[in-house]
Amino acid sequence: MTVAAEAIAHRSRRRPRLKRIAHASVPYLLILPVIVVITAILGYPLYKLVTLSFQQYGLAELIQKKGVWIGFDNFSSVLHDEVFWRVLLRTVIFTAANVGLTIGLGTLIAFLLVRVSTWVRILLTAGLVLVWSMPAVVAVQVWVWMTNFENGILNYVLTELHVGDYTGHDWYGSTFSKLGMVTLLIVWGAIPFVAITVYAGLAQVPRELVEAAEIDGAGPGRVFRDVTFPVLKPIFLILTSLSIIWDFGVFTQPYLLIGSSAVDTSNYLMGVYVFIEGYSHSDFGRGAAISLLMLLIVAVLSIFYVRRMVKMGEAQ
Amino acid sequence: MSAVSEVAAGAPPVARATPRAASIRRARRRRLRRAVWNVVGLGVFLVLVFPVFWMISTAFKPDTEIHSSSPTWFSIHPTLQHFRDAMARPYFWEVVKNSLIVVGAVVALSMVVAFLAAVALAKYRFTGNKLFVVLVIGILMLPQAGLVIPLYVVLAKYHLTNHLMGLVLTHLVILLPFAVWTLRGFIMGIPKELEEAAMVDGSSRLGAFTRILLPLVAPGLVATSVFVFITSWNEYIFANVILTDQANQTLTVWLSYFYGTSRATDWGGLMAASTLTAIPVVIFFLLVQRKIAFGLTAGAVKA
Amino acid sequence: MNVRAMAAAVLVAALAVVAVGVGGASGGSSANTLTVWLQVDAQSGWSEVVAAANAQFKAQNPGWDVDVQYQTWGTHLAKFDATLAGGNAPDVIEMGNTEMTKYSAAGAFQDLTAISFPNKSTWLQGLAASGRYGGKIYGVPYYAGSRVVTYRTDLFRQAGGKIPQSQAEFIALAKRIGAKNKAKTFSPVYIAGTDWYVAMSFVYDYGGQIAITRKGKWVGTLDKPAALAGLAAYKRFFEASSRAPAGSNEGTPPPYDVMAHGNAASTYGAGWFTCCVGDYKSKVAQFVMPSHTKGQPIPGFLGGSDLAVPVGGSKDKAAAWISAFTDNASMTALRAKGNIPNTTSLLGTSVNERAARKSWFVPQSKNWVNVENGNVLRTMLQRILSGRSSIKDAASVASDNITYTLNQ
Repeated sequence: MTVAAEAIAHRSRRRPRLKRIAHASVPYLLILPVIVVITAILGYPLYKLVTLSFQQYGLAELIQKKGVWIGFDNFSSVLHDEVFWRVLLRTVIFTAANVGLTIGLGTLIAFLLVRVSTWVRILLTAGLVLVWSMPAVVAVQVWVWMTNFENGILNYVLTELHVGDYTGHDWYGSTFSKLGMVTLLIVWGAIPFVAITVYAGLAQVPRELVEAAEIDGAGPGRVFRDVTFPVLKPIFLILTSLSIIWDFGVFTQPYLLIGSSAVDTSNYLMGVYVFIEGYSHSDFGRGAAISLLMLLIVAVLSIFYVRRMVKMGEAQ
Repeated sequence: MSAVSEVAAGAPPVARATPRAASIRRARRRRLRRAVWNVVGLGVFLVLVFPVFWMISTAFKPDTEIHSSSPTWFSIHPTLQHFRDAMARPYFWEVVKNSLIVVGAVVALSMVVAFLAAVALAKYRFTGNKLFVVLVIGILMLPQAGLVIPLYVVLAKYHLTNHLMGLVLTHLVILLPFAVWTLRGFIMGIPKELEEAAMVDGSSRLGAFTRILLPLVAPGLVATSVFVFITSWNEYIFANVILTDQANQTLTVWLSYFYGTSRATDWGGLMAASTLTAIPVVIFFLLVQRKIAFGLTAGAVKA
Repeated sequence: MNVRAMAAAVLVAALAVVAVGVGGASGGSSANTLTVWLQVDAQSGWSEVVAAANAQFKAQNPGWDVDVQYQTWGTHLAKFDATLAGGNAPDVIEMGNTEMTKYSAAGAFQDLTAISFPNKSTWLQGLAASGRYGGKIYGVPYYAGSRVVTYRTDLFRQAGGKIPQSQAEFIALAKRIGAKNKAKTFSPVYIAGTDWYVAMSFVYDYGGQIAITRKGKWVGTLDKPAALAGLAAYKRFFEASSRAPAGSNEGTPPPYDVMAHGNAASTYGAGWFTCCVGDYKSKVAQFVMPSHTKGQPIPGFLGGSDLAVPVGGSKDKAAAWISAFTDNASMTALRAKGNIPNTTSLLGTSVNERAARKSWFVPQSKNWVNVENGNVLRTMLQRILSGRSSIKDAASVASDNITYTLNQ
């Protein structure tokens, strides 16, 4: 415990019992509103999600509001489906690529923001916010239009710049190409949040500490390592863990960009897979089982970053 | 210009007597470096913003230009017709009002509630701290598709379907875990020395925390509130299911009617409507963006 | 500024805002309100027909009000599922005709067999079939649309001008048009590769079918000789006339856009395409797509909607509203907007209606929707047209898939 905290602890020990209880209950009171809201709204859905996963629950059962208990059948049927494993592998690779590109490019832009003149910074920030403010459904519509083979501006620009003859090129011809386009769209949409958050983090780096390090003779590299990065570390952990969680379960962009007419087992990502297998087919029991499996998997994927974040709290 | 950028530009912290020629050379090098970064920044801007530019440019093009075989960067005969058509669509102003109400309530409530919880998690040692953190993350990891129908059933029980309050609560539930998790991270990033240096004798711990932490975490709070604003503003899946009456819907659901018909999509109208949808977000961001860069240094320097 | 006071102020402001919102938006509806879900096509296309039906219903049922909530095609089923679970489904709902069977089989709708709706005896067969399940009537036919060939009169005249009476003639005409317009992106007849509505028309034209029932079980029949002949004919036609990529679909880009850009001389699609061909609006006309047999039309897919009454709704009032909305006056008005009415008594001789006289429909299985959502047919067509699989192999895989899925 630090000096100041010890002093406060000393003082609290001398205070009467009631005040001590009041003090101890402060953190619980602080988290109470969050707990109340989440339990009231999410409590039943979470319970339903778990119970549905053990039931045969299709459209007829939904209407009669009664399911048939089948134990682990939903889970075993999913885990024995080779499509599930192929989709899982594809999604893990996809997530790694997306997270890497998003965090990498976003951070580079944040550092760029620091180095440019004020007017460029305002322009770039405004641009980032414009990108960020586009609803995903609208962004997809614009992208579909820009990249369509018939008269998309992308083909036009590439042909005009003499990169090659891209007239009539179909960007959604192969699975790799489809998922590549989806990656481009998602990374583009996710960069603003990362860039602005990292930039906000950089702004939290206190000037005197930097100057103090400078006076001690540290170059920019050491300043980054000793002063900047410790401030940014929790932010990077958050951004990475959030990106993994979001990119693993992403649904809107792949489903709409590849198109509901072209998604099939050869290009499913987990978010699309759970939607089609569970909800499109109205097999809600199976959908719940896949959702829980996804929860488990994404927990495993992000455990490294999440544990770090949780441990950092304990050091306080 | 922030401290970090000054350091990165290689400015010496202490003035020294140097020959004039050398200092002029140094200044010129600095300006050159700055100019190079500016060019890079502009390039990044152009590439990043292109789809948005394309959307806005299309909104001003008459239909003949939109459907012509050779694309044009800027409209030859710009028109405001699409904007007028979009605003004349049924329920446009009701929908704008609804979106503003929902997002306003969600941002205000979630920031206050999440900040308090994040302070508790980051600064207090209590049993259940770790469990609560894990719970928060667990909710973040839930795939939303599975929750839509059970959530609708819960709202139906409370008679909150087709009601803005139902959507506000749903958005809170989706966004609180994120806000708590992120703010906790920002709070933990505040260097200890700054906190302790500002601790005043005799004040309660919570009071000290809020009075000292708030200005320090302001940039993080703003970034998080912008995210909450944008996510709530653009949220579609739950808004679509919960709000069935067009008079009660939000802007994103209203937008879906442009391309949800089985007949031809009105591209010009959709692009104009999308542009209109983006405006409040940009305004909100412009109002709060100062806090991100300049919020902290004030607090730090006073100490 | 005192932080605690600021936080309190923000909280109060938020609660006030929400209170306004709560007061402002009306969530509940009075006990005597009929909730009707129609697709947005009605709002933008024939809202006066809806208004007339509402007025008629309210006059005949005093004390009742009608709340029409317009839905979009992409999401209305998910919303319907949610309301079924939540117990507040609408009283009347418009369903796509391929969507009906799944919900009828699950018991989502009330039995309407006993009710006498206007023109019940002359309902359009292709549309009425989708509303029937297990011998009962669950859906009232609403309106239909068929597919026709929309073509550029100037380009056709340039290549000889005669309307083709058979597929062979059409292929020859397409080749002549292609010879005169050699641009890389130009299609004499633009058809998206995976447009299964077109491909299956060829299959049914040769006597093939997607699936049949044998002893109560579904059997996929795309790998039978008749269907294979149809698929081969489709491939021949596609290769001669369309420059679309093998994996393209008929939504992106919309065929009328392709024509508007000057990249197609004709296309085979919905009758209302003439609205949106840009500068060529005065230069387009339509004809019925021919069969491989000279002088016959190809069986076309009859797209359309039915009106159903979900469980929990007020059946009599719902039926009364549906009757008001599908009577002769309404059907005449719908026909005037370019739709196909639900009764043969009002069927005219427009190109759209002539094309509807010979039609095919999807297997009436409750699991058919899953075949569509899994894009089984589209994947098969992409494989065939790109050359990745032989017609026989791709059709076998699809057929097995269909057999499996339909029998779930």
